[in-house]
Amino acid sequence: MQQQEIHKFLERYFLSNKCEIVDKQPNYMTVQLTIELDKELMNRPFYWHYLEKTGGVPNPMCLTLITDPDTVPEHIKGETIHFGSPRLHQIFQSTKNLASYIRLYEKPTSLSNQQTPLRPWIALNVKISYQCDRKKDVFKSIGLSLINGQMVQQFHEKLLKMDLTPKIPDYSFTLSPLIRPKSGVVRIENFLKSEVEKESHSWAEDARKRWEKDLHLLEHFYKDDEVKAESYVVEKEALKDQYEPKIVMSIINGGIFYLSDQAV
Amino acid sequence: MTVHIEFDGSWQEGFITRMENDGPWSNWELFKLAVEVENHTVIPDFEGLLAPQHLSQLIPLPHQLEVAKQVVENMHGKAILADEVGLGKTIEAGLILKEYMIRGLVKKVLILVPASLVSQWAVELNSKFFIPAVAQRKSYVWEQCDVVISSIDTAKRNPHREIIYNQNYDLIIIDEAHKLKNNKTKNYEFVQNLKKKFCLLLTATPIQNRVSEIFNLVSLLKPGHLGSETDFYQKYKKDSRSLDNHEHLKELVNKVMIRNRRADTGIEWTKRIVETISIEFSQEEKELYQSICSLGEKGAVINKSQFSIMTLQREACSSREAVYYTLKNMLQKEELATPTYHQEIQKLISQVERVQSNAKAKKALELIQQINDKVIIFTEYRATQLYLQWFLKQNGISSVPFRGGFKRGKKDWMRELFKNNAQVLIATEAGGEGINLQFCHHIINFDLPWNPMRLEQRIGRIHRLGQDKDVRIYNFAIAGTVEERIMKLLYEKIHLFENVIGELDDILTKFEVGNVEDHLIDIFNYSSSEGEMKIKMDNFTSMIQFAEEMKGGGQHAATGNS
Repeated sequence: MQQQEIHKFLERYFLSNKCEIVDKQPNYMTVQLTIELDKELMNRPFYWHYLEKTGGVPNPMCLTLITDPDTVPEHIKGETIHFGSPRLHQIFQSTKNLASYIRLYEKPTSLSNQQTPLRPWIALNVKISYQCDRKKDVFKSIGLSLINGQMVQQFHEKLLKMDLTPKIPDYSFTLSPLIRPKSGVVRIENFLKSEVEKESHSWAEDARKRWEKDLHLLEHFYKDDEVKAESYVVEKEALKDQYEPKIVMSIINGGIFYLSDQAV
Repeated sequence: MTVHIEFDGSWQEGFITRMENDGPWSNWELFKLAVEVENHTVIPDFEGLLAPQHLSQLIPLPHQLEVAKQVVENMHGKAILADEVGLGKTIEAGLILKEYMIRGLVKKVLILVPASLVSQWAVELNSKFFIPAVAQRKSYVWEQCDVVISSIDTAKRNPHREIIYNQNYDLIIIDEAHKLKNNKTKNYEFVQNLKKKFCLLLTATPIQNRVSEIFNLVSLLKPGHLGSETDFYQKYKKDSRSLDNHEHLKELVNKVMIRNRRADTGIEWTKRIVETISIEFSQEEKELYQSICSLGEKGAVINKSQFSIMTLQREACSSREAVYYTLKNMLQKEELATPTYHQEIQKLISQVERVQSNAKAKKALELIQQINDKVIIFTEYRATQLYLQWFLKQNGISSVPFRGGFKRGKKDWMRELFKNNAQVLIATEAGGEGINLQFCHHIINFDLPWNPMRLEQRIGRIHRLGQDKDVRIYNFAIAGTVEERIMKLLYEKIHLFENVIGELDDILTKFEVGNVEDHLIDIFNYSSSEGEMKIKMDNFTSMIQFAEEMKGGGQHAATGNS
């Protein structure tokens, strides 16, 4: 992530959380946090607890974030933000926390007064982690029609091209789902699992081979002991933790989208 | 082939509740941002290093990156990092730790280092790697913090020990791991019983070790990698020092150990400029020295097994205070001493009292004033250290003392004092280990250490990565004394000061003739006379010469990264 991208990202994060950017420069920004965001980012529960107990006037903090430290005037004091900085990762985490669930409606393209039916879709953005002593992730975005069970991949990209709104547009109406949202999620889960099972898992086979090899060495090391030492048990457990291959699917975010027939 | 698949179901519940309650829903912009974040932080591949792009404060050197990559990709996170002193093993360990944390494979980490390095590790991990590592000072830290740094001596004691065994660590890092080469120690046993999912052992000196020590170290990391204990010793002699005659063993060790040498790194090191400064005794000092020498000739008076005349001789070359201290001890210890013995010692003491000035101290003062920059003075003797501190103060030069026995906090404090407020740091031998002083580039060896190997460690404190100036080393020697002759032996014959010991060791291990340190300790500590010392030294140097001639070209050393 380049510094400009980070800068842009921070702006969008604060604006979409309704914070005022009081000093907006290309190389740094000063943000007046809202109460909610102060609680989210500044880690001062005692202050907020105290304030709520005493009924004082809340005074959320101002945060100055510097994205190009070389060009910032000296009198500007703030936190330098780069891709590895803990603050940025805190904000990443916060973004995900604050955006787990969504419901949106498609705006009709023409301004006709025609009644437009909107069909319910479930969208899930999922991270699939392949994990042994190494790890990699794959991002998947799946959409499922709650009317006919149709499944669409790279759904998020498609959504990005649509005009979406949190309020149902005038002259639009929603169709009731034939598939319950809960079973919709399960269908997607099963779909993802079956897709993943079809893949080649040489990485997992290799990990198991490494595991077996080290296990064999371990057995050999303790072969002379009649009663196995404590350290043997501990090491055995450690090898499992180190090598055991597994795949973890976690939902980053998702929600329900009401879309026109033409949309997908 | 089936792999266990976990599907995190926690999202669903929140979704269903929101469906029922008609919200609350997030906004679209934030939702999109979250997906973007995910796409930026997703780990695209099993291979490669992600850590460097997260580190704005650090540009790792190529050999450090290579080590990190090797450990993660080919050694599966269990390795002995054995680079020579000063190549940045801490950086390598930090890179590996960071990589695992980014990949989400490591969360809980235990870092065991010598007490004097605890704070330094904490600072480096926080400032260079943005890893919130905490130095363990309160016992709640074990449970509440994810990355904890402690000394092994603290960790192994209860109540800490029990708490630590109850944590589920993902990665354990042990610095100065050569201290774990004996599998009969409490420290070894403590580490052996720790659960080591991933583990890094850091040591600069794995190959001085006897084969048994390598066995113990590797077995800690990966039990069975070198076979069981009985198998191993059937195959290799316990005291065998070299891995070289055992191609197979060498190969096995190289699977779990990475060792870079200065020469391999392709880094241009700043120079070491060594200067021996010959100093003349004052008249009174000379008389004291001569009396000590003549005491040696009257062998019968003093029981030789009690102490060595050479000790006193060398002390006399350092300071009258050092001599006095030893003499006083001799009087106290020798309860059944003859009156003659008492008399002789008393005579020496009165001679000590007559000495009014210290020729070396004067020279040191002159040099410090001339250098007009930070200087580290090493001395072997506490008494000399105290005297020098007083003497420099008399002459308006600020100094701080440094000893191995200082507590962790005091060491850090002294280092900071030296860095910010004082011109001179006066360290005794034990103070040489475990502290980095790259901001200084002048060393005065006020007297010679008993173990000449320590010279390398002394110099290593400042001649390491991060040192951007040439390092100047001034060796003091009093003309016409045993000191000068030892210096000649060391300096002229084997160029000890300019050689990096590791290279010499490689040569020696190849020929199974022990290592430099053992030889030197024997020569300088266990010779009963100068004559004996000289003969041993001659033997030793000719052995090295022979070994060097035989070495031939290009072969890689015992545990090289071949």
